[in-house]
Amino acid sequence: MNSLLRIQPLVFPVEKVVIPEAKSFRLNNGVPVFLIEAGTEEIMRIEFTFRAGQVNEYLPLLASTSNMMLTEGSRNYSSEELNRLLDYHGAFLNLSAEKDRAGIVLFFLSKHIEKVLELSREILFRPAFPEEELNSLMKKRLRWYMVNREKVQNLALDQFFESVFGKHHPYGHQAGEQDFDRMNPALLTDFHSKYYTPDNMAVIISGKIHEKTTGLLNYYFGDITSKNIYTEDSENVLKGEKRKKVHIIKPGTVQTAIRIGSSTINKRHPDYSGLKILDLILGGYFGSRLMKNIREEKGYTYGISSSVSSLDLTGYKVISTEVGKKNCQKAIDEIYKEIRLLQSSPVNKDEMAVVRNYMSGEMVRMFDGPFALAESFRSVWEFGLDNNYYYKLSEKIRTIDPDEIIELARTYYNIDDLYEITAGS
Amino acid sequence: MINFNRFSLENGLRVLVHEDRSTPLVALNILYDVGSRDENPDMTGMAHLFEHLMFGGSKNIPEYDKPLQLAGGENNAFTNNDITNYYLTIPSQNIETGFWLESDRMLELDFSQKNLDTQKNVVIEEFNQRYLNQPYGDAILKLRPLAYKVHPYRWPTIGMDITHIENTDLEQIKKFFFSHYAPDNAILALTGNITYDLAYKLTRKWFGPIEKRDVQSRNLTAEPSQTEERILSIEKDVPSTALYKVWHIGSRKSFDFYTLDLITDLLAGGESGRLHTKLVREKKLFSEINAYLTSDIDPGLIIVQGKLMKDIDIQNAEEAVNEVIASLQNGNGIAEEMEKVKNKFESTTVFSNTSILNKAMNLSFCELLGNPDLINQEVEAYRKVSKEMVVEATGRYFLPSNCSTLYYKSTRKDK
Repeated sequence: MNSLLRIQPLVFPVEKVVIPEAKSFRLNNGVPVFLIEAGTEEIMRIEFTFRAGQVNEYLPLLASTSNMMLTEGSRNYSSEELNRLLDYHGAFLNLSAEKDRAGIVLFFLSKHIEKVLELSREILFRPAFPEEELNSLMKKRLRWYMVNREKVQNLALDQFFESVFGKHHPYGHQAGEQDFDRMNPALLTDFHSKYYTPDNMAVIISGKIHEKTTGLLNYYFGDITSKNIYTEDSENVLKGEKRKKVHIIKPGTVQTAIRIGSSTINKRHPDYSGLKILDLILGGYFGSRLMKNIREEKGYTYGISSSVSSLDLTGYKVISTEVGKKNCQKAIDEIYKEIRLLQSSPVNKDEMAVVRNYMSGEMVRMFDGPFALAESFRSVWEFGLDNNYYYKLSEKIRTIDPDEIIELARTYYNIDDLYEITAGS
Repeated sequence: MINFNRFSLENGLRVLVHEDRSTPLVALNILYDVGSRDENPDMTGMAHLFEHLMFGGSKNIPEYDKPLQLAGGENNAFTNNDITNYYLTIPSQNIETGFWLESDRMLELDFSQKNLDTQKNVVIEEFNQRYLNQPYGDAILKLRPLAYKVHPYRWPTIGMDITHIENTDLEQIKKFFFSHYAPDNAILALTGNITYDLAYKLTRKWFGPIEKRDVQSRNLTAEPSQTEERILSIEKDVPSTALYKVWHIGSRKSFDFYTLDLITDLLAGGESGRLHTKLVREKKLFSEINAYLTSDIDPGLIIVQGKLMKDIDIQNAEEAVNEVIASLQNGNGIAEEMEKVKNKFESTTVFSNTSILNKAMNLSFCELLGNPDLINQEVEAYRKVSKEMVVEATGRYFLPSNCSTLYYKSTRKDK
């Protein structure tokens, strides 16, 4: 075949995204509700989110256990009945307890809205926290924990958070085996009554929203009141450990997990969008510097990536990979080499074009469909931000210049500040 | 209901198009009818290694990823026992870039020694990461050759021995390419913001000139029926003992497929499945337990796998699993449970088909099975399964003589 005929097609610029705004209103008791109408199928996603994450816990595992016990029985239903009814109505329920927030997300056919809301109220506001179920859950969790602690990537990441945020802060503390014995129903009831309250709650709904949704939400959730229990802010301060390099020995492993990074700014900071772009160049996509060098050029690893994440009180950036033991130091050296390069040499035009266009495409994908829209909404709303964050990011993707990237790399990737955590044999 | 149109080119390429104007993106999926079952037993892992090589540049394009990223696209691929599947999503105005890239690597790869050497290392690290550096990661490597003695499903997609990958050379790679990568061995699906007319025009333009290739027809020896129970016991330094049990089933196209799929959902679909309810919640024998079908095209397996709680005897645990399975045969209380898993299946299908990428993959796979309308018929087929069919199939498949069991025992004192 004549290769002259195979001329590369023209590439057209990706248009700026137009993000549908969420409609908002409040339930009778003041709980904020956000509605994002999108999609073509008769399906919905509802997220109930509370400020009930790890940051609020006074014992390790308290936030995650309180969350996981929500479906273990309620005033009117046993755990078995709750699970069976959700399954019977074809609903998917995800429990989540993160560093700042916790709650549940439900996916279901819109026609089942009423049943889903009725069960959600049971799960969220009428949990029974039965002791037997709790004991059995903690025994299971201990088994899962022990399996997870066999994996070098978990050992390294847990240590990373401890090193970066400090072992006394809930963002940083690692659970130990002994912590699994410490949960009891009274603790969960206390945590639940303090943090799973209307004052701490928001509802984010997306999809083909059933017309009865607003009325039903008020019926099931609008008259619940907060008990006004006084909660003290944690006095723990975020304070990174002094030791920057930690190696965790895990005998018998063939690969070593590497986590390199530190705390950083979060979404509320004006430099954050620039930092996101810098991070992408370093390790945020398949064509990143780290992937090209350490996987595609040297074959040291199956994958390497970097990411920047926002938490309520801070942010963090982390480079993650698993490499064969013999290449571990070489990989670490290459990681620092790539950071230094970004601090000293301007990114060329060619690479800038790839990064700008790839990220513009990513932004289209971030707002494609009802579920992606809800997730993107939540991840700015929880920081008190709105879609302007995305419009500014989109603008920054188009306008950032190589000098600014050097400046950002020097400000936010000071190598002396980075923690270097490894786990392996 | 997913509406789609099909056509094929003179060179044998089959094409399916589903238009969905609610998204600004297009998904392009290309399925090659080649998987690890097509490998020579002395050279396993080739299909998967090949997937990696497909990103190392093609005849007229030195690098696959960069032009795609420049056009705002994103892509990936996977390989399994049966197929190798490549996919991308891209803003619709740049879909032609997707055609250009995919057709060029179907035309011919840039067979570079450097790329081969690097990707061998990458695959070896992938093998280490997935199978050796994870607790229980090697269980599947032990189970396959226990259940299959003849059929190529006896080795995993990554390969049965990593030295096969180490020893591969460029000549073998080229031969593999020209005998499996061909328009007449591929299915292309386009979904999302694209019209049939544009899809037709661009497919003819970019894939039309690629010539038909001499694809050998598949001639695999069928796995003989298993006649005796098989048991393998191994000891490892893992936190808990694990139990794996597998039974042979028919092919993906067999009449029983949906009945068996429904049976695994009764056993392990969600938190309310029978195995979880009885053995995790009530009897507290397992910390987790699951059951699923391998969904292979040739006769596959039902897999039940679970991790034991502390101080539980594996024989007791196994007996309890067998009891739960046998309970399906008395049919008690099964009607409501069947309605539950049918509702869940329907809802799962609806959710899966909200993504243009899933629709593209599903359409391609249904076409490969010989019936693209299957994408709209599966819920109905699953709904038609009756209580009698469940009872009958349970009795016919879950026989000890059809079963292979792996005891994956923890050597730890405090297990």
